[in-house]
Amino acid sequence: MRATTLRFVRTGLLIGAATAVLTAQQAPPPPLVSSQEIVDGLASDGSRWLTFGGNYGNHRHSPLTQITPANVNRLVPQWTFQTGTLGNFETTTLLRDNVLYVTGPQNVAWALDARTGRQIWRYRRELPENLTACCGLVNRGFAVFGDKLFMVTLDAHLLALDIKTGAIVWDATMQDYKGGYASTIAPIVAKDKVIVGVAGGEFGIRGFIDAYDTQTGKRAWRFYTIPGPGEPGNETWAGESWKVGGAGVWVTGAYDPEQNLLFYGTGNPGPDYHSESRPGDNLYSDSLVALDADTGRLRWHYQFTPHDVHDWDATEVPVLADMTIAGVPRKVVMFANRNGFYYTLDRTTGKVIVAKPFVKTTWATEIGRDGRPVALPGHTPDEKGEVTCPDITGGTNFWPPSFDPSTQTFFVNAREACMTYYAWKPEYKAGDRFTGGAGQRVQSPDMPVYGALRAIDPATGDRKWEFRYLNLSTAGLLTTATGLIFSGDGDGNLLALDSRTGKLLWRYQLGATMHGTSPITYMLDGRQHLLVPAGTTLTAWALAP
Amino acid sequence: MTATRATLTLAILCAITTGPLTAQDQPAGNPLQGDANAIRAGMGLFRARCADCHGIDARGVRGPDITQVWASGRTDEGLFKTVKEGVPNTEMPANPRMFDHEAWQVLAYLRTLAAPAPTDPPRGNAENGKQIYQKMCVACHRVDGVGGRLGPDLSRIGVARSREAIVLRIVGDVEGSRPGYQPVTLTPETGPPITGVKKNEDLFSVQIMDSRERIQGYEKDKMKAVQNGTRSLMPAFGSNRLSASDLDDLVRYLQTLRGFDPSVVP
Repeated sequence: MRATTLRFVRTGLLIGAATAVLTAQQAPPPPLVSSQEIVDGLASDGSRWLTFGGNYGNHRHSPLTQITPANVNRLVPQWTFQTGTLGNFETTTLLRDNVLYVTGPQNVAWALDARTGRQIWRYRRELPENLTACCGLVNRGFAVFGDKLFMVTLDAHLLALDIKTGAIVWDATMQDYKGGYASTIAPIVAKDKVIVGVAGGEFGIRGFIDAYDTQTGKRAWRFYTIPGPGEPGNETWAGESWKVGGAGVWVTGAYDPEQNLLFYGTGNPGPDYHSESRPGDNLYSDSLVALDADTGRLRWHYQFTPHDVHDWDATEVPVLADMTIAGVPRKVVMFANRNGFYYTLDRTTGKVIVAKPFVKTTWATEIGRDGRPVALPGHTPDEKGEVTCPDITGGTNFWPPSFDPSTQTFFVNAREACMTYYAWKPEYKAGDRFTGGAGQRVQSPDMPVYGALRAIDPATGDRKWEFRYLNLSTAGLLTTATGLIFSGDGDGNLLALDSRTGKLLWRYQLGATMHGTSPITYMLDGRQHLLVPAGTTLTAWALAP
Repeated sequence: MTATRATLTLAILCAITTGPLTAQDQPAGNPLQGDANAIRAGMGLFRARCADCHGIDARGVRGPDITQVWASGRTDEGLFKTVKEGVPNTEMPANPRMFDHEAWQVLAYLRTLAAPAPTDPPRGNAENGKQIYQKMCVACHRVDGVGGRLGPDLSRIGVARSREAIVLRIVGDVEGSRPGYQPVTLTPETGPPITGVKKNEDLFSVQIMDSRERIQGYEKDKMKAVQNGTRSLMPAFGSNRLSASDLDDLVRYLQTLRGFDPSVVP
C-alpha cells in the first residue's frame, strides 16, 4: 500500500514535470523586449534601460524620483564588477528584468545579476591580430530586441547573441576589416531592423550606415555616407577622392518613429587634414543625415563643417524633442558639434533654427542664413602649422549629452582647447592610416585648457549655467526628474549636481575617468539604482537604507 | 626511419623558426631614408608629436637635442625602437599607436637635420662642477640615489637636456616648472602656510611634497587658500651667485650624468 502510494506519487511527479516541459514548449514565454517598449522609452517606465540613449530621442533623462538633490549624498556603493580585460569601458549598459547587459573592450560582453554584480554569462570574440581600429579596442554598447542582443565588433561584424546564454544566433559581416573597417557603435533597433555604422575615417574607408533584419541577420539596406558616381553629392569630391573619403559612423543616432526617420552624425572626411587631397564640400562627411528607416533613403542632410580639415567628425549624439521656439511649435534635433557650435535644427527639414558657439571657436564667426558657416581665412593646416580652436577632439565629442524636457535644457560636457594643426600630402595604402597631418595642443596662458559641464537653452543656444572642471572631461551624462544631473570630471570624480543651477551636491572618486561612458539609472527591488562604468569597473549605487 | 623523421622535424622547426624571425627583424637602416614624401610626412609628425619637447629644430628644449644622435653612434634600428617604445622612467613616452612607417618617416625627417658631432672641446671642469653641485644643488636634487627629492632627479640630466636648456634653467630664464614640481602654497584654517611642489591635483584635493619632503594629500575645502606659484621653487643662479666659469664647470659636471644603475654598488 505504502509502496503503491509512493509509486503513484513518483509517477504523478513525473507526469507533472513532463506536463510543465510540454507547457513550456507549447507556450513559450513572450520575448523579453518588445518594439513598443523601446518606443515608449523611459517616460512610461523608468524602471529599466532598453536602448542606448534611454529613449530613441537620446534624452538620457529618467523619470525616477527616489534619488533627489536632498538625499543624493546618501548614495552608497552596492557592488563593483571588474572586467578582468585590458582596455576601458566606453559603453552604455542596458537593464531588463534585473539583469544588466554590458559590452566591454576587445569585444568581451557580459550578462550580470544586477542585484549582486555576479556574472551570468560572458561572451568573448576571437579577434584577428592585425586589427586596424584607430582609437582603442572599444565598444559603446548593446541593442536589445525580443530575446536577442546586438553588438558590433572591432573586425566589422554585427552579432546577434541569445540574451539568455550569450551564444551567437547570427553573425553578419559588415565589411572586410583588412580595408581599415572597424565598428564600435552601439546599435539601435528600429522596428524589425538593427541599425549600425562603420568606423575607419583615419584609414581611407568609404563610410556607411547599414540596416539588418533582426531575425535573420540579412542586410536590408546600406546608405553610403559618400555618394558614388552619378549620385547627388559625388561632385563634392574632386577626382577619385570619394573612394577613400572616410565619413565613418561610430556613434549612435536617434530615431523618430512618427516620421520613421533615423538621424545619424557622420565622421570626418579623409585624409583628415590635407585640404588639397579632396577639394569640395565632401558630402556627406561631418553631417547629420536623416534616413528613411525602412529603405535607408536620404530624406535630408545638414553638413555642419563643409570641407573639414580639422578632424571634426559630427559623431556626436543627436537629441530629439518637440518644443516651442519663438512662439512656433517645432520638432527639433539638438546637436552640440565637435566644431564648436551648438545647433538646433528642424528635424522635418534639416534647416537651422539656432546655431551658436558653445566653446571658444576661431575658424568661423557664425552660421550664415544659408546654413553654411561663415569661415575665417588662415585655418587650413599646412606643413608649418596653423592655430585653430577647438582642438582635434573638439568642443565636445562622442560622449553622450542629456536633455531635460521639463526645463527644456540641453546638457553637454564641453572642452576648451586650441591646437596647432599640421598637414602634408599622404599616400593611400589599403589598411594604413590615412590622415595627412596631426596636431599639437596649444599650452599658453591666453588659451587655457579646461572642461566644463554646460547647460544650454536649445531655443537660443545661450548658456544657462556651467560647472567648470580642473581638466578636460569626456564623460557622458544622465539627468533625472528630481533635478539631478550625473557627470564625471577629467580626474575620475563622479559628480551629482543640481540640474537647474549647476550646484555640486555629491562626488565620489572612481579611480578612472568615465571616458565616453554614461551612468544609467533603474529600479531594483523597489530601490532606485545608479550604475556607472569607468575604466575597468562597473559600480552600482543606491541610497543607504 | 626514425632518424630521418627527426631530421625532417628539425628542418621544419628551423624553417618555422627562421620564418618569423626574419619577418620580425627590422630592415637594415631606414627603408624610407631620403624619400621626399616620407620626409615631408615625418616633418609634420615630428612637429605635432615631438617638437614640444625636442624643439621645432630638434635641438632640444625640455627634451634632448636629437640632431647629433647619429653622430653619437646611435643606429636607425635603435632610434626606431626608442620612438616606438619610449625610454622607461623618463619623460620620453612610448608611441604604441604609431605605425612602423610613421616612425621611419620621423627618422627620415630627422636625418635631414642631422649634425656632425661637435668639434669644439667641451668647456668647463667637471671636478670643480661636482663640488659646486654638492654645495649649491644637492639639498634639492638627487644624483645616483644621493641628495634631496624636492627637485627633479638629475642622474641622467646629461642625456635628457641640451646644454642650453640646462644653462637657462640654472640662471632662471625659464618660466614654469615641469609637472610634479609646480610650486604650491596651502593656507590651512589654523597654523602656518605649507609650501611644496604639487604631485597631483583634482577639483577637490591636492597632493604635495612639502619643503621638508613630507608627501601628503590635502582636501581643498579644508584650506583657506590654495595658491599656485608662478615661479619655480628653484632659485635663479645669476652671475651674482655663480660666475661664468663656475657655471661652465657645473654644466660640464651635469653633462657627465648619464644614468643611474642601482644594481651597481658604489
